[in-house]
Amino acid sequence: MQNRQFIVSHAPFWHNGSKISSRSYNTVIAAIPALLLGFFHYGSPVVGVLALSISSAMIWELIMNLITRRPLTIGDGNAALTGTVFAMLLPATSPWWLVITGTFFAVVIGKQIFGGIGSNAFNPVVVAVAILMVSWKDFFDFNEALLNYDFEFIAAYPLAELKHFGTSAITSFDTVDLLMGKQTGGMGATFGLGIIIGGIYLIIRGIIRWEIPVSFLAGVFITALLFNISDPLKYANPVFHICTGYTLIGAFFLATEDSSSPVNFVPMLACGAFAGVMTVLIRNIGIYVDGVIYSILIMNLICPIIDKIRPKALGKVV
Amino acid sequence: MTSKKELTLAYSLIIIFFIIGVLSYAAFPAKSPDKPVRLMFKGVAGKVLFSHKLHTNDAGCSDCHHNLEEDETSPEACGSCHEPEMEDEDVPSRTDAFHSQCIGCHQENEAGPQEKECSLCHVM
Repeated sequence: MQNRQFIVSHAPFWHNGSKISSRSYNTVIAAIPALLLGFFHYGSPVVGVLALSISSAMIWELIMNLITRRPLTIGDGNAALTGTVFAMLLPATSPWWLVITGTFFAVVIGKQIFGGIGSNAFNPVVVAVAILMVSWKDFFDFNEALLNYDFEFIAAYPLAELKHFGTSAITSFDTVDLLMGKQTGGMGATFGLGIIIGGIYLIIRGIIRWEIPVSFLAGVFITALLFNISDPLKYANPVFHICTGYTLIGAFFLATEDSSSPVNFVPMLACGAFAGVMTVLIRNIGIYVDGVIYSILIMNLICPIIDKIRPKALGKVV
Repeated sequence: MTSKKELTLAYSLIIIFFIIGVLSYAAFPAKSPDKPVRLMFKGVAGKVLFSHKLHTNDAGCSDCHHNLEEDETSPEACGSCHEPEMEDEDVPSRTDAFHSQCIGCHQENEAGPQEKECSLCHVM
């Protein structure tokens, strides 16, 4: 194989024109297919939750910029992205105060108090959802949140069925239906195919790295498969775990967040796989219905240490 | 640092989305349908998800709403009489009323679950 040589010339340099804002807005574009299906299923409330989430996240960032007397960063679109991804995880019936409180936790507690974009140790959206899930868990019980919707598909939240009634209760869920979004859940988190298409778009554009989602999904698949082999009557098959809950949105939109995920090749694989394994462990032997949020939070926690696994430096500086 | 163009876009997004968000919440407030689709009964022994629509397919209104008048089409909600704690001995408390209603009808129609299988309805 021929070794490519990179020649670094001296200044002046020409910026290639890439911007943080184009990364942010491209990620928002990648979320559109999943959100469109949410709109199709839940109707106008999706527009309200999404619009309020985006605007309030940007307003919180603007307020923090002004209070801390730092340069205005709302132009980079990161707050808009935080608002979009946060809205995708919420049920369509979320009250306005939950949305505004959530974006406060995401933008202020999750990001700004660490110093803004690039300094946050945890994914801001995951921090916000974790706090809200502990504080107001009934709003994240999708069976309770979506009581008034009359769906043409099974209205029970698949992971809750599995947790409470075992594998016999999930035999009526069809994998293709689950992948096509015929399931209840977060308003932008149920359309598996749409999320995968959005994720592939992000990978092609170079905004996220393929290593994290692929290793995350592999971690989920292999762990769920081992559980399933050990006791098929008690534990669901791995494909069910991948198509339900926050698994796919977690793999492509949450675990890949810039500053809270690793940057080196081996750490990316290790962290992604770790989060995948933890997700299934929490689902199968933990008390929570879905484990994606907490597993990504733990992954964020160990990332800086795992990221110490670095490639050998090329050459030697004398 | 962000450019002026990006800031203008951000301000525009804030204003547009805030107005859309407020209007959506104001114009389409969450309201319950006249006839419930599903109901969530809550008690100390956990939640019970009840499909009202599924049960109305098989049973008539008066099978459960026992005080329905002849031509009455909009029965009262169970909770309007059956409160969580009842002082009146003739009117069972909410949990007792649901238990006797649900278990009685399910046993009559052999629709399961068996006795002492609480977790088949109750979810903590």
